[in-house]
Amino acid sequence: MIATLSLLNTIQAVGLLSCFALLGTSRIGACIRWLSLQGIVFGLVPLIVHDDGLSLRAVLLSAGNIALKGIVFPWLLLRIRARADFSREVDPFVGYIASILFGVLALGLSVWLGLEMKPALARAPFVMLVSSIFLVLVGVFLIVARKKALMQVIGYLVLENGIFLFGVITVVGTPLLVELGVLLDAFVGVFVMGIAIFHINREFGSMDIDRLTALRG
Amino acid sequence: MFAEQSLIAMLVLPVTGAGLSLALARPRDVLAAIVTIALIELVLAFDLGAGVLAGRGNVTAADEWLYVDAFSAFHIVVLALVFALSSAFAAIYFAREVEEGGFCRATARRFGALWLGAQAAMLLVLTSHNLGVMWVGMEATTLLTAFLISLHPTSLSLEAMWKYLIICSIGIAFAFMGTLLAAASIRSGNVAAEALFWTHIAAADTQLDPTLMKLAFVFVLVGYGTKAGLAPIHSWLPDAHSQAPAPVSAMFSGFLLNTALYCIMRFVPPAQHALGRGFANGLLIGFGVLSILVAAGFIVFQRDAKRLLAYHSVEHMGIIALGYGLGPLGAFAALFHTLNHSVCKSLAFFAVGRLGQRFGSHDMHRIAGALRVDRLWGTALLISLLALIGVAPFSIFMSEYQLLRAAIGAGAWLALVLFLAASAVVFVAALRHLIDMAYGSAANTKRLPRDSHLGVPIVAVAAGLLLVLGLWMPRPLLDAIGRAAAIVAG
Repeated sequence: MIATLSLLNTIQAVGLLSCFALLGTSRIGACIRWLSLQGIVFGLVPLIVHDDGLSLRAVLLSAGNIALKGIVFPWLLLRIRARADFSREVDPFVGYIASILFGVLALGLSVWLGLEMKPALARAPFVMLVSSIFLVLVGVFLIVARKKALMQVIGYLVLENGIFLFGVITVVGTPLLVELGVLLDAFVGVFVMGIAIFHINREFGSMDIDRLTALRG
Repeated sequence: MFAEQSLIAMLVLPVTGAGLSLALARPRDVLAAIVTIALIELVLAFDLGAGVLAGRGNVTAADEWLYVDAFSAFHIVVLALVFALSSAFAAIYFAREVEEGGFCRATARRFGALWLGAQAAMLLVLTSHNLGVMWVGMEATTLLTAFLISLHPTSLSLEAMWKYLIICSIGIAFAFMGTLLAAASIRSGNVAAEALFWTHIAAADTQLDPTLMKLAFVFVLVGYGTKAGLAPIHSWLPDAHSQAPAPVSAMFSGFLLNTALYCIMRFVPPAQHALGRGFANGLLIGFGVLSILVAAGFIVFQRDAKRLLAYHSVEHMGIIALGYGLGPLGAFAALFHTLNHSVCKSLAFFAVGRLGQRFGSHDMHRIAGALRVDRLWGTALLISLLALIGVAPFSIFMSEYQLLRAAIGAGAWLALVLFLAASAVVFVAALRHLIDMAYGSAANTKRLPRDSHLGVPIVAVAAGLLLVLGLWMPRPLLDAIGRAAAIVAG
C-alpha cells in the first residue's frame, strides 16, 4: 500500500513536471517529447491502481495506452512537424511566464476541486484525482493559448490523458470494448487532425491558426 | 416485421456501402449507390419503427448492446428520412460539379465513404445501449464529417473544418468526462458491464450519488451541447454550415445536431432519478432560451444565406431543448418539432444550395427574384423559410403552438415571454431577407443543366410533409411521439 502510494506520488510529480514543461517550453519538438513522457507515466497507472490483483484487462489497457500515447502519437506528431512547418516555435498567444502562472493557479484549483469531490469518490487516490483535473485544465489552456495548430493537437492529447486518468481511478466496470473504442477514437482523431494540418499548411503556407480569421459573425 | 434483423442490417449496410464507394469508378455510380442505400435504409427504419410500436416497446440485438426504444426509433426514422432526402439532393447538386470537373473520382469516393460512414456512426449513437459506445459513435461522427466540410479544400472551408474539429473534440472530451462521472455515481453493488447501459443507470433500483450525477449532467450538457449547437458554445456551427457543400449542411442541420441532443436526453432520466425534475429541466430551459435569444440577434444582421440558416438551426435547437425542459407536454412538442425542423431545414439548405449554384453566391444581396429565375427551388425556398419562421398552416407552427401551451401549463412565464419576443424578431428579420431573395429583380444568373427527375419528388415530399403534418397528425405518429416523450419526460 505504501509502495503503491509512493509510486503514485512519483507519477504525479513527473506528470506535473511535464505539464509545467509544456506550458513553458518554446520548442514544439521538446513539447512532443514531454507529451510522450506524460503518456508513458500515466499509462502505468492502471497497473498500480487495482482492487484485486493484476488483471489481463489492466495490462492490455496499460500497454495500449503506452504504445499509442508514448510512442505512436509522438512519432506521428514529429512527422507532421517535419513535413509541415519551417518555424519550430510554439508561438504563444499567452506568454510563457503567464502560462506558468496559469499552471500554478490551475494546480490550486485542481487541489480545491479534488477536495470537493473526494467524499463522493472515496476509492480514487487523491493525488491522481488532482492530477487528472490538472491535466484537463492544462490541456484546454494549451488549445486556446497557442498559435500553432500542432500545439492544439498536443493540448487535446493532454486533455485526453486527464480524462483517461480520471476514468481509470474512478470507474471500476468500464467494459474493455468501450476502452478500446475510446483509444481508437483518439488514434483516428490525431490522424485526422494531422491530415487537416497538412491541408491547412498547404493552403495557407503556415500552420498558424491566427490566420484562420476570415469567418466571423 | 423483422425488426431485429432490420436493426442489424441498418448498421451493416452503410458500412458496406462506404467500403463499396471507395471501389466505384465513376462519380455518378457513387451518387447512385448513396441514393439506393439511403432509400433501403428508409424502408428498414420504418420497419424497425413499426416493430418498436407493435411489440413490447423495444427491439434489442447483440446481447442487448443494441437497444432501440420508442425514443431511439423515432430519431432513427427522422435520420433515415433526412438522409434519403439529402442523398437524393446530393445526386442533383453534385451532377453539375461532375460536368464541370469539380467532383472528380477521388472526391466522389471520399464523399461516398465519409457520407455513408457518418450515417453508420449516427446510427450507432442512436442504437447503442451503452453510454460509452454511444460516446464512441458521437466522436466518430466528428471525425468522419470533418472532411465533408472541406470536401473542396478552400482556405475558408479548411478554416471552418479546423474550428469544427477542435471545438467539437473538446466538447466531446467533456462529454466523456460526464459519462465517466455518471458511471462513478452508481452507488449500488452492480458495477458490471451493464452499469453503463442507459436502462440500468436510470432504473428505479439503481442508487446514484447526487453530487456526482449533478456534475455529470453539467459536463454532458456542455459537452454534447457543443456538438448540438446550443449557445454560447455554438461558435463552430455557422462556419461549418456555411462552408460545407449544401447536402452536407442539410445533413448537419437536419440530423447531426439532433444526434447530439439525443445523447443529452439519454442522461436526463438518470439525472431526474438522482436529483428530481428541477435540475436537469432548469438547465435545459436555460440553455434553450439563451440559444433562441443569441440566434435571434445574429439572424437580424446576416448577409450570407447559409449562415442565416445556420443561426436558424441554433434557434430551433434551443426551441427543442426548451421543450424538453418543460415536462411531458413540452417533450411531445420538442419531438414533433425535431421532425418538422429536420425536414424543413433540409429543404431550406437544398433550395439555398441550388440557388447558390445558379447565382454563383450565397450572399443574400445577390440572390434576388429566385421565384422567377428557378421556379422549383425558388418555391422550395419560399415554403421552407416561411415554415421555418412559424407561419401557419405548416407543421412548425403546430409544434411551436404546442410548446407555448406546454410553457403555459408549466408556468414558465419568463421563458415564454423571451421565446415569443425572440420569435417575433426572427419572424420580421427573416421575412425581410426572404422577400428580397424570393421576389426583387433578378440579377445575372448562370445557366444550369436541367434538374434530373429527382428534384420535383424531393421538394414535393418535404413540402408535402410540412403541410400535411401542420393540418393533420396521423394516429401512428401520434402514438410514436407520445411513447417517445414518455421515456424522457418520466
